[in-house]
Amino acid sequence: MDPSGVFPTSYRSDRRLIRTRWQFLALVVFMALLLLAPYLVSSRIIAILNMMMISAVIAVGLQICTGYAGQINLGQAAFMGVGAYTASILASKTGLTFLLTIPLAGLSAALFGFLFGLTAARIKGFYLALTTIAAQFLFHFAVLNLPSTWLGGSNGITVPPAELFGLRFVSESSQFYLNFAVTAIMVAGAFGIVRSRFGRAFVAVRDDDVAAGIMGINVAATKANAFLIGAFYAGVGGALWAYLIRFVGVDQFTLFHSIFFVAMIIVGGMGSIVGALIGVFIIRIIQEIIATVGPNIADSVSFLGGDIVFAGMNVVLGGVIALFMILEPKGLMHRWNILKSSYRIWPFPY
Amino acid sequence: MVYFINDIITGALIGLLYSLVAMGFVVIYRASKVFNFAQGELVIIGGFIVWFTTMQAGLSLWLSIPLSLVLAGLVGYAIERIFLTKLIGESVFSMVMVTVGLLILLRGLVLLVFGPAVRPFPIIFPLKPLFLGDMLIPMNLLIGGIITIVAAVGLSWFFNRTRSGLRMTAVAEDHVVASSMGISVKGSIAVAWVLGAILSTIGAMIFLSGKSLTFLASDIGFAALPVALFAGLESIGGLILAGIIIGIAQSLTTNYLDPLIGGSLGSVVPYIIMLAILLIRPTGLFGWRTIERV
Repeated sequence: MDPSGVFPTSYRSDRRLIRTRWQFLALVVFMALLLLAPYLVSSRIIAILNMMMISAVIAVGLQICTGYAGQINLGQAAFMGVGAYTASILASKTGLTFLLTIPLAGLSAALFGFLFGLTAARIKGFYLALTTIAAQFLFHFAVLNLPSTWLGGSNGITVPPAELFGLRFVSESSQFYLNFAVTAIMVAGAFGIVRSRFGRAFVAVRDDDVAAGIMGINVAATKANAFLIGAFYAGVGGALWAYLIRFVGVDQFTLFHSIFFVAMIIVGGMGSIVGALIGVFIIRIIQEIIATVGPNIADSVSFLGGDIVFAGMNVVLGGVIALFMILEPKGLMHRWNILKSSYRIWPFPY
Repeated sequence: MVYFINDIITGALIGLLYSLVAMGFVVIYRASKVFNFAQGELVIIGGFIVWFTTMQAGLSLWLSIPLSLVLAGLVGYAIERIFLTKLIGESVFSMVMVTVGLLILLRGLVLLVFGPAVRPFPIIFPLKPLFLGDMLIPMNLLIGGIITIVAAVGLSWFFNRTRSGLRMTAVAEDHVVASSMGISVKGSIAVAWVLGAILSTIGAMIFLSGKSLTFLASDIGFAALPVALFAGLESIGGLILAGIIIGIAQSLTTNYLDPLIGGSLGSVVPYIIMLAILLIRPTGLFGWRTIERV
């Protein structure tokens, strides 16, 4: 709900995303701080921000597919992998500029996702989630078993840095601006998608697909679209990942990574783009803490060795998913909305 | 020709092992409408319980096997009490997401508690294979296959013929309707998880007997997933047929097609079959066909 004194007087103003002057101001300050971040904070934090922004693109895609359209997707990491491999092959073999490879990576991932989404024409409910697991396995199989000159096999592929007008995106801060630009475009696009007729169709299908069908929505096409859009975001994120790490290997895109993305949208809150961003922020910080603390613990508990980071991440994130599903299935965004509306109507109870 | 028949028999027996693990999926689904993504982790926990009671505690097999089954049942009950009871009345979506969380939580816990080390697993079934003319049949798979068929017949009778089995079937149809008919949804889900954990432990014994045990053995959960879907998630008897078909297909691909193409197509054949069956007949061979009225 809006603060008192803000009344939309037209349909147009009712659909607005930025509703008050303060919200506009907050957005400008937030974006300005992000833009200035490379001058304000250390390069270690910039590296973390880079990972956060890439994860944000992928998690927003998953949010559209799972949070808005209600389709459980356990193959987001495979879709990301398809994008990453497309971008790295195009960049290393044909030398295309990243201005082309990133959208093409998104498109190829979208195509791959759409193929699995197409099964929605025949399959309903959880069976659909299982085809995304099949996507995960087929992706691994394809990379590891196709001739290694195609996809690099188990050796992976080295990616040349992104380049524009002789400027090479090598340093953390230059990559930061590349990621920032792409993430800003993708997130703004997501806000547009979920407010459009497609987004409303997603929500209708999520809430009740039989009812949605009666209202004239093509349910199967809507589900396939949800996978298409979700996979497109994953592919773009994967391409950014390829340019950031400059190396892609099949181990970077496992079922566990898919579940980490699921954890992000559950923590943030299903059905909210901002929620996805909050979830990315929190989960990435947790992962960063475990990755920093883990090796220190590993020194004292020696029999675990290097697996402690992986094990700890699984325990913490699995626990977080279960806890949130039990205690607050609507996520942190829901809590925040309750808080916001209660201070806006204070001192009245409702 | 002898080798060909031998491959078919071995494949069918491996398929029956998949059926047994898949039975864990189906039993939990049949009694609670929850698809348990963490089935493979239940297998590995069962494996570690067996390893602990025999190799660590040093009990004889006759004592440790029943004890392991009881302990596994308790673990299943504990998981159900801690994570799933609280979600009764919430959407099935939440319950499924919790099992996805459980998948990585249990994987991490097993790693933290037992570490990545490779451990010897007790020899439960005789190592010496059965020689049938020129053919060679692994003993553990043969006994395992018989156990699977017995378990399938027994559970299928339980769910389709007995009063308490039919009650659980009602829970799988609809939680709200079942509980308004006076059926305990809570009790049904608890029984489902206890049974699921026990079946997984039996599966672990057959699968790992005389081999080595690491946390990676949980991959059998995902290998068994296509069998459950091929049979249809509600059918216990159908698992036998589905397991045999998938096992034979996988064995033949591994032995005859893979050397030709030089890859490991055998490991994804079950998934290709699964995708095909989902497209042609989404409810599987013997699954319930739900009719949606509006």
